[in-house]
Amino acid sequence: MFRPEMPNPDSGHPQDSHATPRKTLIVFAAFALVGVVFAGVSSYDFIAHLDRQVHAITCSIVPGLAAPDANGSSGCHAVLMSPYSSVLRDFTWGGLPIALPALGVFAFLLFRAVDLLLRRKMSRRETSFTVAAALLPVLTSLVYAIISATRIGTFCKVCIGIYVSSLGVLVTAVVAHVLTPPPTTAAGPAKGSLLGLWGFYFVEGLAMVALPVLLYLVLKPAYPDSLLQTSGLRHAEDKYGVMIDLPGAGRVPAVEVLDPLCPACKAFSERLAVSDLAGDLQVKLVLFPLDKECNWMVGESLHPGACAVSEAMLCAGDKARDVLAWAFENQAQLRTLGVSQAAVYARIKQDFPSLAGCVGGAVVRARINKSLRWIVANSLPVLTPQLFVRNQKIPDEDTDLGLDYVLSRMLASTGEVRR
Amino acid sequence: MNTGRAHMILMLVTLAAVGLSVSLWTRSAAGRLAESRGKAAPEVATASASDMNYCTGDLKVILKRVLTSCGLVSGGSSRGCQPLQARQVASMSGGDFNALFAPLSGRAAILQFDRDSSDLDQSAVELLEKSFADRRGASYFFVVSRASPEGSVEHNRDLSHRRGSIVLDAIKAKFQDPDIDQEVGLLWLGEEFAQLDQQFCQWQRSRSSEPCNSADLNRSSFIAWIDCRL
Repeated sequence: MFRPEMPNPDSGHPQDSHATPRKTLIVFAAFALVGVVFAGVSSYDFIAHLDRQVHAITCSIVPGLAAPDANGSSGCHAVLMSPYSSVLRDFTWGGLPIALPALGVFAFLLFRAVDLLLRRKMSRRETSFTVAAALLPVLTSLVYAIISATRIGTFCKVCIGIYVSSLGVLVTAVVAHVLTPPPTTAAGPAKGSLLGLWGFYFVEGLAMVALPVLLYLVLKPAYPDSLLQTSGLRHAEDKYGVMIDLPGAGRVPAVEVLDPLCPACKAFSERLAVSDLAGDLQVKLVLFPLDKECNWMVGESLHPGACAVSEAMLCAGDKARDVLAWAFENQAQLRTLGVSQAAVYARIKQDFPSLAGCVGGAVVRARINKSLRWIVANSLPVLTPQLFVRNQKIPDEDTDLGLDYVLSRMLASTGEVRR
Repeated sequence: MNTGRAHMILMLVTLAAVGLSVSLWTRSAAGRLAESRGKAAPEVATASASDMNYCTGDLKVILKRVLTSCGLVSGGSSRGCQPLQARQVASMSGGDFNALFAPLSGRAAILQFDRDSSDLDQSAVELLEKSFADRRGASYFFVVSRASPEGSVEHNRDLSHRRGSIVLDAIKAKFQDPDIDQEVGLLWLGEEFAQLDQQFCQWQRSRSSEPCNSADLNRSSFIAWIDCRL
């Protein structure tokens, strides 16, 4: 077994003459500690959701100072609920949160910094490994920053904390390495011993990442099959002709009940769209606008303007998906306009002139009513979104983090899963 | 302290701190999940048809009688109520029958016809479509056709029947609703039963800009969605 490099008069230098790299290492340790805190907060928030309940999450550059996000409006919530917050989602409920290995990596970097600081001397063999180790969080942060910008469309403050910590540890690791003088002896360390030392440190880093991951997988609650025994659709047939076909080559019939101005529906549709399993589904949409303008089941409009936008989707026929994408894109603005129905109609007519003669008309209003009657005929709960696969409902608690896992179980139970 | 030993201790302490944190967080979530499984799920409203305040027990009894006799509730092949049947199933006077609809003043409309005519004019078509589209959570749509007292009883009975049928046909053509036979209650009363009095002039009419008297009112089809669950 390799022992960590000990102070060596032949290859190292007296500590007093290397005060600058030590100070840099202290800054490195501070960045690593900040990374531990942010990755820990992110892991904690993710793991808290394993109870399948709704939780407020931390979303602040200084965790603990700002009020937690309790209504899901923050970028942190969008990122947490996105399909990119974890991996192996169809293997275990919720998947493995990316923040968890990040916690292990930052803990390892912190350990490295303290370990080096405790020694009397530092060598470039040590600092070069630290630079290599610090590259991992930077590369991961870069990938996730790009995903946040291009796929999710928002950034989370806790993630930004991780990005900054990652950059900080890399920069300070490089500076510490540059400031550490090379060995004074003519012959440097043997190549074999260098690789062996790095291998030893790599195993240590691996253990630091593997331990939290394994503990998480072993201790996380199991998902019993009984939870999949949900109610189904009593009258799945589309006798009113109100279902909207989504393009897809899947063979498993699925019905998605949604409100085009509901933020949770938007997030759910996006999760479903990027799921590997979505390709197995042939999804039909049923509109359930939670807007009192057309929906008598809600005393107050949860999503004002949703009735008018739903009319536009039905008017659009095979272009309904374009209207839905537009509605998702402009949800907040449309909900604000929704206080006045006329304003929403005007916006629809402005962006979709071909629908001007249809929206607001008696026939399409009657079709929206039929859509609501389909909901009544099936005695569905007054909430959105809802997904039925082969007439069986995906439990409401499993429409976010648990979607891929539950979907894979449901498809596997009918022998429809592709993999 | 030996540097190698310090290194190992530091490594173990770090591992323990990370492992302990993750264990606590995960077990805590598992505990909350187990606890929540023992509790009843929070109640969420279930989608249902409207049942407005005016749907009193007495009103529902009458509605059910009318709807059953008119073939709506049972889903039988015969549908529509003739004047005599309407009077029998309602078991009430014409005034009381009309009073049943009083709470519907904001929901009902009166489609007016020319004398001795069963043709819907443009304003009547527009009002019919607007009223039918404004269904909300209602379960039943009533079409109650009448005729003014000019002419014979038989002629007026037929005339009111034609007026009711033309309204029903217009709805079918425009809205193509597969449930229409189970949701539209059609009554034609001729001049014999429950004539509308002058107070209905204040209700929504297709000829609201024209003068209104009792004869004008009864050359009509009274339409209304009924927001009651039976």
